[in-house]
Amino acid sequence: MESLAETPWDVTISGTGLGQSLLALALSRSDKKVLHIDKCPYYGGSEAAFSLQEAQEWADNVNKEPGQSPFEDAEVHSPSDSRLSSSRAYTLSLSPHLIYSRSRLLPTLLSSKVYRQLEFQAVGSWWIFGPSEANSNLYRVPSSREDIFADDFISAKSKRTLMKFLRHIGKPPRETEGQSEEEDLSVPFSEYLSSKFQVPAELHDPLLSLSLSQASAQQTSAEYAVPRIKRHLASIGVFGPGFGSLLAKWGGGSELAQVGCRALAVGGGVYVLNAGIESIASPSNSENGDDARMQIKLSNGESIRTKFVVGSHWDLPGQAGNDQPSCEKAARSISVVSSSLESLFPITAEGGPLPAGAVVVFPGSSLGQAEDSPPVYLLIHSSETGECPTGQSVIYGSVRLSGPQGYSLLETAIQKLLESVGDAEAKVLWSLRYTQLGRVGDVIDAAQALKSSSPSESMICFPPLSLDHAFDDALLDMVKEAWKIVQGEEAIDEEFMKFEDREGVEDE
Amino acid sequence: MSEPTSANTPKPSSSVKLVLLGEAAVGKSSLVLRFVNNDFQENKEPTIGAAFLTQKCSLPTRTIKFEIWDTAGQERFASLAPMYYRNAQAALVVYDVTKPSSLTKAKHWVAELQRQASPGIVIALVGNKLDLTNDASNEAAGEPTSTEGGEDEATNDAGDENQAEEATPGDARKVSTQEANAYAEEESLLFFETSAKTGVNVADVFTAIANAIPESSLKTGRGAGTGQTTFGGGRPAEDTRVNLGERATATPKEGCAC
Repeated sequence: MESLAETPWDVTISGTGLGQSLLALALSRSDKKVLHIDKCPYYGGSEAAFSLQEAQEWADNVNKEPGQSPFEDAEVHSPSDSRLSSSRAYTLSLSPHLIYSRSRLLPTLLSSKVYRQLEFQAVGSWWIFGPSEANSNLYRVPSSREDIFADDFISAKSKRTLMKFLRHIGKPPRETEGQSEEEDLSVPFSEYLSSKFQVPAELHDPLLSLSLSQASAQQTSAEYAVPRIKRHLASIGVFGPGFGSLLAKWGGGSELAQVGCRALAVGGGVYVLNAGIESIASPSNSENGDDARMQIKLSNGESIRTKFVVGSHWDLPGQAGNDQPSCEKAARSISVVSSSLESLFPITAEGGPLPAGAVVVFPGSSLGQAEDSPPVYLLIHSSETGECPTGQSVIYGSVRLSGPQGYSLLETAIQKLLESVGDAEAKVLWSLRYTQLGRVGDVIDAAQALKSSSPSESMICFPPLSLDHAFDDALLDMVKEAWKIVQGEEAIDEEFMKFEDREGVEDE
Repeated sequence: MSEPTSANTPKPSSSVKLVLLGEAAVGKSSLVLRFVNNDFQENKEPTIGAAFLTQKCSLPTRTIKFEIWDTAGQERFASLAPMYYRNAQAALVVYDVTKPSSLTKAKHWVAELQRQASPGIVIALVGNKLDLTNDASNEAAGEPTSTEGGEDEATNDAGDENQAEEATPGDARKVSTQEANAYAEEESLLFFETSAKTGVNVADVFTAIANAIPESSLKTGRGAGTGQTTFGGGRPAEDTRVNLGERATATPKEGCAC
């Protein structure tokens, strides 16, 4: 094998986050010479997963080197508790996203054949924390007709309005198109529900939770919420009864990233960790045409030549000309809890799998905040995810409010949850809180988004990832655009991520 | 666990992620090729890129499906290993019995696995290229010498005595069985000497690993009697896996919720 410096690289991918790793997967069967590097000693970038010790080191680094990653203000809190297991008994994920069954990511993992290396589990119930009615403040959000019939909390009248609404948005698009021209989706979601369907106010938050909106019902437009609730409903039953979204076992996005990298390694890509990009120099004038390669200095002292370089803002050096992208901030936390929180993971339909994930939403009002303040989302992962020992669980909290206010809301929400699950022993054994920077809102045109964030044709920079709680399909579109640029004329749209099984891999 | 008991129930099947580590050219890929295809290629080119292979191993009580990750070709950067041994339940650390430096490298890998990999990982130390030694014709020397308790180790002592430090002419062995075995015992590793070329002991390595994987790491279920609400009644509690491949048969209904 030639040395790094001698190899004329076609593509250098910097960073092993989800976007870069999916690009690695996309290029894994190309005849391109690909070098894939990461400045960190681990895979996954801002979607990595950590043991307790690694998480502590990560937090220290985030604070020590501000601006080097889309994170700030990280802090580990570890009250000494003998129930906490050893560091490596945990795999805590920076990207505990749920993946809707209808996400285009899943057919992509199937057609690229890497799904065999992943294990998916169901995210079962959506819970909403409401004003105290009965003994429990946790209310399971009905998300199917059967659920609504079985619900003894909603009045018969409300059930009718709810069914009317769900029937409306459950219609296939074609059928509604004629009428929907008059439908005004620019109004707040709460207004849309009340005026159009007379859905009572107490059902607004439960319905909104199905959209995973990180703003209140008043602050979320119907335009945002309605397609997402449709996505939720249309995803149920695709891979089995009673659930509509999945999580990847062993660390969510981190596993997806690693699977992409492995695929490229199998395809001949070369991997070097602990090597970031120090500087990039344009090809000299003497070099022209196809052989023009920019010169890249790596942090490990080596110098390489490459036609394309791909990364995120945080994996390409500042002088590449890409300014700090505009980002929103969210307060996030990861908490290891000394309870299995079993009551949150009921099997949601006969014959369905045992869910390993659950979503608990705290509307602002349930936390003593104003009606229109943002909700807190808690993604709960059971020990089935392999992220913690049996008898414990991991709570991934998030609220679209940065700073101390966000952290304090997360803490309050977790305390309220633990108080309401009826396990007196349930305590937070370990927690990490941090602020994450990312994109809010949808990418409408992936090609345009990628182009405007990239410094040049040969220097491709992914825009910041979405702060959404569900995997953002726009990322796939941007990966495809990057793949097209790199493949040039060889790119055939239909062949993106479509691979045959490799030799030696038997079919099930 | 209240497994449904039926005479016709197929044996439970579990996947085991296994990572291959070791210096370049010790025969990692050849070992896997022998195990998976019962094949050997003389003067095999170094593997381009890494490899992923699967092979089933049938035990009396269950079937283990090995998912084998070969870091071949990229040992130089040592950058694939962390990705490969994350969540791996087993590791095969290979050295070349004719090359002492490869055992040193193997020891580094073992130390790294013990420091970084999953706490319960089963590690097997394998000295390959036994065909280049005088033991090639002597089956006894190739006997597995498991250091896990409770196995039959009766043949080991005699075998070890024969592995004198002084190599006889024509014998390329540079690492004695005794030395490697002592190290393996100290670190609680499974230990085998193999020949990917002749096939000696190759299947045994994988069988021993399959047997050594603790039941608990195969089943990540919560266990019985934890008050889990089950609708299905009697379904195994550990059933959380969602099969994407079933998509075609799942008959999704458009807008199925209502």
